[in-house]
This record gives sequence, structure tokens and C-alpha cells, in this order.
Amino acid sequence: MRRVGIVGAGITPCKSHWMERTYYGLSQMAVKACLEDAATSVKDVDAVVYGIYNDIFELAAIPEHPLHGIIGMTNKPGMRVTNGGATGAYAMLAAYTFIASGLYDTVLALGVERATDCFDFESMTETPEVIKTIGWSADTFFERELGWTASDSYAEVVLAYMDDHPGDLKPEVSARIAEILCQQAKNNAFAQRRDEVVTAEMAMSSRYVVYPFKLLEMCVYSEGAGAVLFASEDKAKAIARNAGLPVVWVTGLGASNEHHVAGPDYKTHKYMGRIWSDHIASHKAYEMAGVKDPLEEIQVVELHDAFIKQLQITMGEMGFVPIGKTDALIEEEIMTPGGKLLVNPSGGLTFGGHFVGGSNMFSCWSARRELIQRQLERGLVHGTGSTVAQYGVAMVLERSE
Amino acid sequence: MAETKRDVPRVIPEHFNPPVASEVVEVDGHPYLQTNEGMFTFYKRTKGEFSAYFLGLRDEAKIYGIKCPQCGTVRVPPFALMCPDCDFAQMESVEMPDRGVMNSTPPITYFAHSLFQSWVPFGRGRVVLDGADTALPIHVYTTQGVLTPFIFEKGTPVKVVFRDERQGKPTDIFAVPMAELAPEQQAKSPLLESDLDFSEPPEPVLGEATDEDRAAFARAVEMLKELSAGVDASPRARHNLAGWRRLIEVKTAAGGLVLKIDDGSLEVAEGRRTEPADFVMLCAEPQLLVDWMTFKEALTNAIITGRLWISINREFTTIFKLDRLPRSVHRDMQARG
Repeated sequence: MRRVGIVGAGITPCKSHWMERTYYGLSQMAVKACLEDAATSVKDVDAVVYGIYNDIFELAAIPEHPLHGIIGMTNKPGMRVTNGGATGAYAMLAAYTFIASGLYDTVLALGVERATDCFDFESMTETPEVIKTIGWSADTFFERELGWTASDSYAEVVLAYMDDHPGDLKPEVSARIAEILCQQAKNNAFAQRRDEVVTAEMAMSSRYVVYPFKLLEMCVYSEGAGAVLFASEDKAKAIARNAGLPVVWVTGLGASNEHHVAGPDYKTHKYMGRIWSDHIASHKAYEMAGVKDPLEEIQVVELHDAFIKQLQITMGEMGFVPIGKTDALIEEEIMTPGGKLLVNPSGGLTFGGHFVGGSNMFSCWSARRELIQRQLERGLVHGTGSTVAQYGVAMVLERSE
Repeated sequence: MAETKRDVPRVIPEHFNPPVASEVVEVDGHPYLQTNEGMFTFYKRTKGEFSAYFLGLRDEAKIYGIKCPQCGTVRVPPFALMCPDCDFAQMESVEMPDRGVMNSTPPITYFAHSLFQSWVPFGRGRVVLDGADTALPIHVYTTQGVLTPFIFEKGTPVKVVFRDERQGKPTDIFAVPMAELAPEQQAKSPLLESDLDFSEPPEPVLGEATDEDRAAFARAVEMLKELSAGVDASPRARHNLAGWRRLIEVKTAAGGLVLKIDDGSLEVAEGRRTEPADFVMLCAEPQLLVDWMTFKEALTNAIITGRLWISINREFTTIFKLDRLPRSVHRDMQARG
């Protein structure tokens, strides 16, 4: 396989609702920002991979087709990826593969999503309709009609984890993580909740949406777009030289999709108390990158924090803390300010924003930015998605001058 | 030809359908046009290889699983005909018992979107039926008042109950804790919804009132009367209670009172009811009522955390309406200056 690097990234501001732009306009904004960052032209891009999660959000089947011409890719190949919450991460995996295989030299991964065009005319608010729209993602024969939602699906995993590890995921720890992410979002000019102040006390006392998830400890709905430009080794070095920025190499990639039906053994079904998809994906990525001890060898993690308690479990699955003792993230000051590990410096999906098809591009944009600006060596980008955290993707990034 | 009678239930209820309309919304001085739209497709969708399972639920009140003759794995529901772990060996249908244990602690949905609003609160759990290797997605309910996160946990023994009217859907069945059933109910198969009594669950025991409780109760009564007057003067609050009629008996350690919701109004009376109440609200600490009216705690949240109990599960919807009142009254007061 050929070596693949990231040479540009751009995102739009994350907003709860973009009245001023459609997903066409958002896509153009992100692509323009990405190519400006790379100081290159779309004429030099060989192919594009689109990450768009849900047709209903865009009110369109084949929602990527009107984007192709308007982002300057006429007559070039374009492929859409849709993989639930992990759509963006899988789209980047596809972009990587296009290059590693030798098929193309420069590939754009563009993620975009609407959400709050959906509107519930009974309550005259957006949220119930957004929840309903995501609800069509469940198994439509055995689960959707039971009232499946994304929140209760992840709550199911977290509750099962708490069955096995009743001493972990203490409320004050999750609340403190919310506070830290809120503070970190202030360093992200594109963050949706940049101006909000959420203290641990506020998070602790916020109401339950679905037990054990509290309102201030879960991600928001966002609209926005993000683009990441991948390139083969020679191209990457040339683009980076021209842009005056280092190449951030993709040195490890892993992905895993679990079974969607619950059973006692993760090898044949979903073991509800674990997120094996995150475990398998991250450890495959570590193996590829030669990472033996992630806590010692990785400095920044941009993790798909759909819910704070899920963030904790995922950090356990990815080997930064032991499963069953993920409260160590706070209690041993691993991710507190000045701690060993920078976790979601963008504010994460909780405070930064979560435009589903492009959220992982948002995470990648942030991880790359931190690697370059703080002169760090190695980062990790993570995506999770589908019912019961079925999908997991992990990507190891390394900076070189 | 499609059925046109107006009283036939609709795939998409009539009231979900918004009018054709558009409007201009201004952002930063620029006008943007938005239009009411919908994305709808109708289906005559086959249940295909799952038909035997759903017909079993509907017509026989039985649950069928599927067993691999090679590895012996029993899958319920029978979500595949061939075993993916044995090179797609053809599996065989097996009848399953109507009892088992919870696979894990189930989530409880309190705030559902429009399609499932009428069910809240409901639990969406997974039951490993005796002899099964996979877990059956299923609604879980309690016969003992409102559903809370602390009733079901991993390993809780449960019994599957069949609805009296079934349509061949996953909602034809639900599970209740085995411990809530009498021995004859535990033994009956199929156990029907009409075999259960949800109407008069045993009430939690209230402790002795403290001086603080008594003071809080007096303050709560006073504030409720103010709230009642506030509702009369608040269009938002009247709208919150429009078309709704309930008589609620409120019990606390320091005393009781009666709330009467009557199509946009809220009446408060101290003491016990003289006519049958629709349901009971019970909170050991009357301070909860004060906290609710001073925006410190939502009644819905108090149910989730166990501070408030109500006798009838579906009356959570009434609690949701009550929760809105203090804020509605406050907003209209502010609007009036």
C-alpha cells in the first residue's frame, strides 16, 4: 500500500440551523476552505468521497449528485458513503483506500448534513422530527416500531456497561468532562456552543433525557460541512511544501461493525456491555501504526462523543484507561487541563457540533490542527455510529516536518 | 381501491400533515424563503421470511425462534433463516417459552416523538427467553404505577404478555417483572394484557413528616393557588392544559391536596378527594412541589429519579403538561411587563 497524508482541511461553522445556506452552499464553503488551507486547486483533485448520513435530512435520495458539479468535480469520480454516525470516518477510510491502492493521487473527503430543516408541526419545534428521522435508522422489522431512538440505543449500551461495572461512570466524573469540553470549545471558532458556559454543577443538575444521559452531557444537532484533502506521498510533500504546512500522515486505520442483535458473545452477536467495534477498530489502527501503548504514544484524541458516558467507555475500549475504570480520565487527571492527553480540544460533538455525515471530518480537522499548532507527534480520530454503537472507526495521524 | 372512510386509522395520521405554506425568515437583514414540505412514501411491505414469526404472535399468541441444527444456537426473534456461523446451514423453527430474563438494564423513554408519544413512558429492553441465545427486543412495563429506570435490571426474570388485540407487530407483546405476577398468572400461557390489573397499584409508603416538610407543604399549597390564578391569566398555560381533564390526588408526608385540570384551568383544594381521582401523585418531600414551581426541578425528572411516583403510567403525559405551567405563566407575566 502507498503512504497517504492529509494536506488540507476546512469546515463551516457548526450551527443548530443554517437558514442562510442549503447543503449545496455548505458543501461549497467547506471545499473552498479545505483547498485554501492546502493552497491548491480543485483542478488538482482526482476524486471525491461524500459522507452524507441520512437521505431524509437532505430531503433527497442520491443527495450527493447535485454537489458534484458545484464543487468543481465534473467528469471525475465521486462516491457516497453512508454509515450512520460513523459516515464521515468511513468516507475518509474510503478516500485513504483510493490513494493507498494507487488508483488516485489526491482525494477529497466531503461530509455534509442538514438536520433541523425537519420540523414537527404539532409541537412547532424541530427536535421531535429530528429524533423521528434518525429513528428510521433502526431495524425496521423488530426494533423501530418499539420506539427506537439514537439516545436510547446508546443508553442501552451504557446501562449494560453499568450493569457490569457499577462503580464506574460516576455522575460527577461525566459532569466534569462536560465542563472540560465546554471550556475547550472556546478555542474553536467554529464550535456551535462556543459562547455557552456549562459547569460541572450545571451538568450534574441538568435533566435526564433518557437515563442515564443528561441534557448537558450529550451531543447537539448541527448543520454544517467539513472537507479533508488526502494525497499520495509525492503529491502530499509537494502540496505541503507549497502551502508551508507539514503533512499529517495517516499511519493507522481500523474499522469494525458489530452484529446488531444482542447475545452473550461479541464474536457472534452484540455484547451489550461493551463497544467492541471501537476496541477492534482502534487496536487494528494501532497495529498498523506500530502503537504499543496509546496513552504514552498518542497526545491528542478527537473522539466521537455522542454522549459523555459513551466517550468514557470508548476511551476504555481504545486502551487509554482500563474498562471498568474509565473514571480515571478525571480521577487520575489524564484528560484534565494540563493532563497527559488532550481529548476533544474542539469541544467534541457535545460542544463543537455534530453534523452527522461530516462530524468525523470536523474531528479530523481539529486533530490535524492540534498536531500542527502544538507541534505534537501523534493523534487519533474516532467515529462511532449505528444502533447500539455497532460501527467503529479509528485513524492514527502523525505529523512530520 | 384505498379505504376512504374517515374513521379508519391512517398510516400517517391526518393531523401530522401540515398545510401548504411558505414564509420569509430574516437573518442578519437578509430574507430567506422556507416552505412546508414532506418526504413520504407508502408501502405494501412484505414481512417475507419473518411472516411466520409475526403471524405466530398475532394468530397463535406464540413466540417462535429459529435453531441451527449444527451449532445449536437458538435465535429469537428468528432474524435469519440460515446460520451465518455455520456456512449458512438451514435453521429450524422452534416454539419458545414466554418467560426469560432481561439481557441488560433497559433504557426508558420518557420524551418520545410524535409517532410514539401515546406510549410514554415505555421501556425498550431485550429479553433472553429460556433456551434462547439471543435477546428479543421488547417493550417492558410495570403493573405497579409509573415506569422508572430502577425496576428492571440485568437478569430480572420476566414474563411475556400478549396484547388482547394483535396486529402481527413487535408491539403485540411486552414483558413485565415475574415478581409482580400471582402464581396463576406466572403459569398461564398465553398471559393476556386483560389478565393484568394496572388500575390500583400498591402505593409507596410515606414516612413521618418533619417540621421542614410541614413548612414546605404549607408553602407549596400557597404557591399552587398562585399558580392556579396564574394559569387563568396566561394564554400559554391555558393552552398547555387545553382539552385536558384530570382529577389528581397529591399525597405528601405532610399532607394531601387535590389538583383538578379542566380544559385550560387548574384548581387546587387541600385535603382528600371526594370523587374518584384519575391518578395519584405521591412524593415524600413536599419540597419537590416548591422546587417544581421555582424552576429548580422538573416533575418529569423527579419521576425518573424516583422522587415522585404516579399510580398510572400513561399519566406521565399529564405530568409533562403540569411541568410546563410555571414557565408558561412566568413567560406571559414577563410579556405583560
